[in-house]
Amino acid sequence: MTAPAKSVLTPVDGGRPADTDETAGRRGMLQRLGSVTALYTVAVFAAELLFFSLRASDRFLTTNNLILTAQNVAVLTVVACGATFVLITAGVDLSVGSVAILGEVVAAKTIINAGGDGLFDALLGIAAGIAVGWVVGIINGVGVAYLKVPPLIVTLGTMLAGVSAAQIITDGVNVPNRTLNGLGNDRIGGVPYIVLVGLGVVIVTGILLHFTVFGRHTYAIGSNAEAARRVGINVPGHLVKVYALAGALSGFGGVLSLARFNTTSIGGHQSDPLEAIAAAALGGTSVFGGIGSVAGTVVGVWIPGVLRNGIIILGVQPYWQGIIIGLVLVGTVWFDQYRRRAAAGTTGPTGRKRIAAMRANRPTKSRSQSTHPPTNQ
Amino acid sequence: MRKTPIRRRAAITAAVGMASIAVFAGAAGASGDTTEPPSTEAAGTEAAGTEAAGTEAAGTEPAGTEAIPELTFPDDLDLDLTFVQGVIGDEFYISMECGVQDAAADIGGITVDVQGPDSFDATLQNPILDSVIASGPDAILVAPNDVEASAGPLQRAQDEGIQVVLVDTVVNDESIGVSRIASDNFGGGVAAADALAELIGEEGEVMVINVKPGISTTDLRQQGFEEQIATYPDIEYIGVEFSQNEPATAAEIVTATLAAHPDLAGIFATNLFSAQGTATGLLQAGKQGEVPIVGFDAGPAQVEQLQAGDVQALVMQKPYDIGYQGVQQAVLAVLGEEVTPEIQTDFVVATADNMEDPEISQYFYKASCDE
Amino acid sequence: MTTASTPVLEGRELVRTYGTVQALQGADFAVEAGTVTALIGDNGAGKSTLVKVLSGVEQPDGGVILLDGEPVVFRSPMDAHRRGIETVFQDLALAPHLDAAANAFLGRELRRFRVFNARREMRRSTMKSFAELGVTTVQDVSAPVMSLSGGQRQAVAVARSAMWAKRVIFLDEPTAALGVVQTRRVLDLIRQIRDRGLGVVLITHTLPDVIDVADRVEVLRFGRRTATFDRDDATVELLVSAITGVYSNIQVAQPTDVTELDVGAGR
Repeated sequence: MTAPAKSVLTPVDGGRPADTDETAGRRGMLQRLGSVTALYTVAVFAAELLFFSLRASDRFLTTNNLILTAQNVAVLTVVACGATFVLITAGVDLSVGSVAILGEVVAAKTIINAGGDGLFDALLGIAAGIAVGWVVGIINGVGVAYLKVPPLIVTLGTMLAGVSAAQIITDGVNVPNRTLNGLGNDRIGGVPYIVLVGLGVVIVTGILLHFTVFGRHTYAIGSNAEAARRVGINVPGHLVKVYALAGALSGFGGVLSLARFNTTSIGGHQSDPLEAIAAAALGGTSVFGGIGSVAGTVVGVWIPGVLRNGIIILGVQPYWQGIIIGLVLVGTVWFDQYRRRAAAGTTGPTGRKRIAAMRANRPTKSRSQSTHPPTNQ
Repeated sequence: MRKTPIRRRAAITAAVGMASIAVFAGAAGASGDTTEPPSTEAAGTEAAGTEAAGTEAAGTEPAGTEAIPELTFPDDLDLDLTFVQGVIGDEFYISMECGVQDAAADIGGITVDVQGPDSFDATLQNPILDSVIASGPDAILVAPNDVEASAGPLQRAQDEGIQVVLVDTVVNDESIGVSRIASDNFGGGVAAADALAELIGEEGEVMVINVKPGISTTDLRQQGFEEQIATYPDIEYIGVEFSQNEPATAAEIVTATLAAHPDLAGIFATNLFSAQGTATGLLQAGKQGEVPIVGFDAGPAQVEQLQAGDVQALVMQKPYDIGYQGVQQAVLAVLGEEVTPEIQTDFVVATADNMEDPEISQYFYKASCDE
Repeated sequence: MTTASTPVLEGRELVRTYGTVQALQGADFAVEAGTVTALIGDNGAGKSTLVKVLSGVEQPDGGVILLDGEPVVFRSPMDAHRRGIETVFQDLALAPHLDAAANAFLGRELRRFRVFNARREMRRSTMKSFAELGVTTVQDVSAPVMSLSGGQRQAVAVARSAMWAKRVIFLDEPTAALGVVQTRRVLDLIRQIRDRGLGVVLITHTLPDVIDVADRVEVLRFGRRTATFDRDDATVELLVSAITGVYSNIQVAQPTDVTELDVGAGR
């Protein structure tokens, strides 16, 4: 056998590389810039602010109005942060509304049974509300990760069971309670406590997702669960933690809701799960997993929040509001997805095949001509 | 290891897209569920609505709408009666159930079964109605969830010979229901308008926060309010918004409206969750107490709101009376006696001032019949 | 170049049965440190089973595995990893949305304060390793791996295993989906890895690659080793005839029932 010559790149056509490797590298740079946290949804948000400022600046662009809007979206922000983690693992959690109700109910009942007022009772109630959410989250995680039931089905089940459980606990009747009212409605230095709490949750979950090993593993599992398993990550265990986190945040969202309205709302929270998912999707989280960010979700919560606020201020007839919001949602997500795919070199039939192949763990062909046929698995 | 073939991805995307549109359409105006049926309200201040019903008893009752007519019935009754609520866990219907149970006990020989959907939604209530019909009671008392969709099962019930009495809400089909017993929702809206006008000194901007369009009772209340408020020359009605029965949505509506109309003078909130969210919205904006709210219905949470000053007046119906009279009419129908086709119960307005008065507080809705 | 040393990884008389199918019937295999050993054979010869057994993915039903001459049992792929054996299967096991550095350190992240990613360190370390291995085509280790070409992704996967392997790397069909130039690059990378003292096992159908890069060749047929070649003795024709069973340079007992083995014994 003759010793092979050391491979040398000898361009035959005046230096332009025949291979795609170099060009792919350059495209990678562009993509990295473009993916800075759902840049395009931020653009949509900015456009929205601009629009309402121009049409109704004295009423819309006041500190007061913006603070009130922040108060209004605080609960959804907390819930949507949890939903972001679940979506990044390519899962979904439909039970967030029911878990919020359970959180409300357990918190209210705990406070009442503990005596009814005072800081200790309040803290106990808050802890109880979070804890029940965490437990339901574990149930969800076990169902998804160990029983291998699709997340849609598992969380649908807990969604139905959760409301029933709340009704059993309260005999179906809503429980009024004012102990947490300060948390829900008071301000400090002009900023509502609930907004600060929401901000705190955003910061903590943001650090968790973007700076810790836990967060990186979350992305890895959503991107390619098999690859994660092969390098030794305990995928089922991690998924349980992710769903437990989402459940705890949903329960906490319920506690905050109780704080705001001073009563449970067993028939309410109907659109919470879809609003949370839509917020995450608006912020750049893919429902197929692997992509997402907490900052994006925050923008995603604010876009519909500002929209609802703005169109009421402008006096748009209620019946039109749904259409407007629906169009903005779909348009924003489409635009963001389109830009991402173009930047990542994954548009068009070739691009889509690449992603599908990587996920299905099939070998992928490069763009250049292959002299060897791929093996059949 | 996941495989996501293109078709499935497309389906998921379509589902999420449509669901998201539905969500936000809901947030603003299209989906969502009501747990509380905007309960009906009694007739206006005149004794216009109520005729004495009892046909067995010798005389007719005076047109006083306050008292439940006393009727006599045979002693040897053995009837099955099912009460299908508009939604379970709602103090309005719980109070109604108390009336139903008391009437059954007073009359004697009546077995009562109570059913109802988890939320005020015909898609949930219709299957329940079908099951009830299959169990073959002598009569059904029902608060239908939708003016059109509920007609189907109820027609079938009548075809099977089951006597149907409509309580609270109604259906458009006039042939359904041997008797319809409800508060006069229109009159309740009128009373709410008057109450609000008085609270704001008969001038200023007002709005209505309703639940969602398409429910007979709240639609009538809104209409009544709108027509009556128009009679006040110095009050400007700026319009209606829908809370989809979510307190959070009502709060958003209030804070946004206050941004556009900082001089908003008063709000009429047509059900519990709407009123709750409205109160919170005002609290957020620091306007609590400055902008009076007139709410509807008087469950424990609402009474507490009234107590705490979150709400300034509550228009209360008489669900107990409706339930009681519903049983009376049902028994008459089963016995083949003459029934009263339409009965309107009246309402009472509770304010912070009069809520201690037992004449008023007796009408607060109950959370359970053991109270 | 032969050293009179023990092979770093060796399998003797390995047997692995799936139901009624005997994928390995007393297979032998050996790879020495600092060499590239090609493992070739027809479809169904048992190559992938052999790799799975030697890398801890599966347990053999019979036979023994020796690591640096000592008998050893791999209870799991993690076990094998801990002993310095890495494998790159055809699917590459990369997370498409994560960048090259994140993929390289997946499951073995460098940490700060126990829970935080030491991102800069991981990136620097990855760039350094890529440079040492001569992987020059992946310029941006922060780009998501899915935006790289097939050849670049292969390089990332192979380089990742080179970063962690201490003894042996198995490469399963690394050039199957690649074009000519990319194949050259991967083979260069393989040579770099070998020159660092690791044992490289190359499973491939592409005989020209074998001639190009392998120091030794072992041929598997019906779950047994039927031929071995040194670099200077191998030609494509000889390899083909070994694969098809026409040629053999090892004394093996003939399989008792040829037809039974032929059917269904997958890779």
